[in-house]
Amino acid sequence: MRWGLLALTLAFLAYPLILTNPFYQDAGALVLLAAISASAWNIVGGYAGQISVGHAMFYGAGAYLPLLLYQHWHLPPLLGVPLAIAVSLGLALVVGFPTFRLQGHYFSMATLAVAELIRIVVSNWELLGAAIGLQGPAVSPNWWDLTFRSAVPYYYIFLAVLALLLAVTWYMEQSRLGYCLRAIRAGERAAKSLGVPVRRYKLYALMLSAAFTSLAGSLYAFKTGFVDPDSGLGILVSVQMIIVAALGGTGTLVGPLLGAVILVPLQTATNTWFGGGGAGLTFIVYGGIIVLIARFEPGGLMELWHRLTAPRTRRSPAPRHAA
Amino acid sequence: MLLSAEKVTKRFAGFTAVAEADLTVEEGEIVGLIGPNGAGKSTFFNCVAGDLAPNAGRIRFAGIDVTHAPAESHARLGIGRTFQVPATFEDMTILDNVMVGAFLRHHSRAAARTKALQVLELTGLKDQAGLRAKSLGTPGRKRLEIARVLATEPRLMLLDEALAGLTPSEIQRAIALVRDIHKLGVTIVIVEHIMEVILTLAERVLVFNQGRVIASGKPQEVIDDPAVIEAYLGRGHARAARRE
Repeated sequence: MRWGLLALTLAFLAYPLILTNPFYQDAGALVLLAAISASAWNIVGGYAGQISVGHAMFYGAGAYLPLLLYQHWHLPPLLGVPLAIAVSLGLALVVGFPTFRLQGHYFSMATLAVAELIRIVVSNWELLGAAIGLQGPAVSPNWWDLTFRSAVPYYYIFLAVLALLLAVTWYMEQSRLGYCLRAIRAGERAAKSLGVPVRRYKLYALMLSAAFTSLAGSLYAFKTGFVDPDSGLGILVSVQMIIVAALGGTGTLVGPLLGAVILVPLQTATNTWFGGGGAGLTFIVYGGIIVLIARFEPGGLMELWHRLTAPRTRRSPAPRHAA
Repeated sequence: MLLSAEKVTKRFAGFTAVAEADLTVEEGEIVGLIGPNGAGKSTFFNCVAGDLAPNAGRIRFAGIDVTHAPAESHARLGIGRTFQVPATFEDMTILDNVMVGAFLRHHSRAAARTKALQVLELTGLKDQAGLRAKSLGTPGRKRLEIARVLATEPRLMLLDEALAGLTPSEIQRAIALVRDIHKLGVTIVIVEHIMEVILTLAERVLVFNQGRVIASGKPQEVIDDPAVIEAYLGRGHARAARRE
């Protein structure tokens, strides 16, 4: 386990040094970015089992605010990062506070509605670039603008953020919060009966998740130097986080990373093969993956792995019932 | 007095499931709630556990009014409960299930783990600690639910048909477990419709019928009560019993 972790870390560290083709370096950075947002989603969607379909609102806040500061006031985009996190935490409270009193799909519906509402408002708001979007610094005057020509610096920044996020998630997993979140996911009524403050813990999970999703959005904006309503706030942004996490395994530490490693190159490949007409194809690929996961392995690839490696004799004999 | 419920009434859209039910439980007692199906004992039980808010009446635990307190505060105060249909956390291991309970009073993982292992030892689940809850059968799940509650260190344990669906030998083991828990100083209220269980365990029983408490007292006295026989077996049997 420890050696595996070390090998994995080394592989990720060495990747852009071994594959020096800019195309692969860029693809690697995209994999890490997808892994960050899916891992962030996983905190509330996986561990706590509260399926958000609107994480694009946090991602969008993260992407828009740094570029907004730069484009309109020529402030360092980096200042927008904490601001975006604060806005995301506010949004998390607005969505989570009323809906976490209820069980079931109310939270999912509320996140979807709020995210779409924000997308539509932003699409019509001149200050935020309306349908055209915002742009970042074209040529970097300062290093703190985080504008690099090569993908390699981004790759390592993303890797560091991902490592931080996974460390936080691991710490949470081992703590009281992690145990209680998994209990909430497994059965809210039973969790309550054991004294778990269900609503409060769901809110904590959502806020932690929102903060990191916002950070992922900011990283995206730094790398592309551009955001518009579709790339920052579109429904596909939210859906991609869900698919990546679900493919690897929701509620597991490395599931989202595994999902990103598989799915993002697949996306890049289909986009290359099918050229510019690939935008709609992404939906078809996502749809197909949803169907396959739901039908064959709702726990994702991590669960499949556990099932295949588990000893056969794990099940106790079937319960006998008195006549 | 540890628990007192006064004139608890619960209505569902015009249907009165529990009507002015009273119950007092002293520290250290084992009290049974019995009655035919649909008598309102589970609804009453859920009112006491904080899962349902009664329409009228008042419930006090250790001097604190808990009538409208949320379910999670009940656990903190020391009221633990099991579910009629076991609500174990299926994908979590047996140890992790119990640790969720233990985290209520132990904040560090190590302390919660120690407490959970201690409870697993007591409930005879220690050998299966690393297995997922879904690998257990019905008796195991019921046992796990009891273990989980025990880890919250309750003063009062509410058992909702914790023995239903078990074979006679499993029932004997479960009765022994309830006795062990009682010996630890935990007060127990048990809902059950297996008479044998109530007769061997409870010191005092309340009989529910059609939402009302129709009899209460020592188990032997209560089962000879014509009103109780009538509720369980119908009027004809009650008359026959009187003639004997």
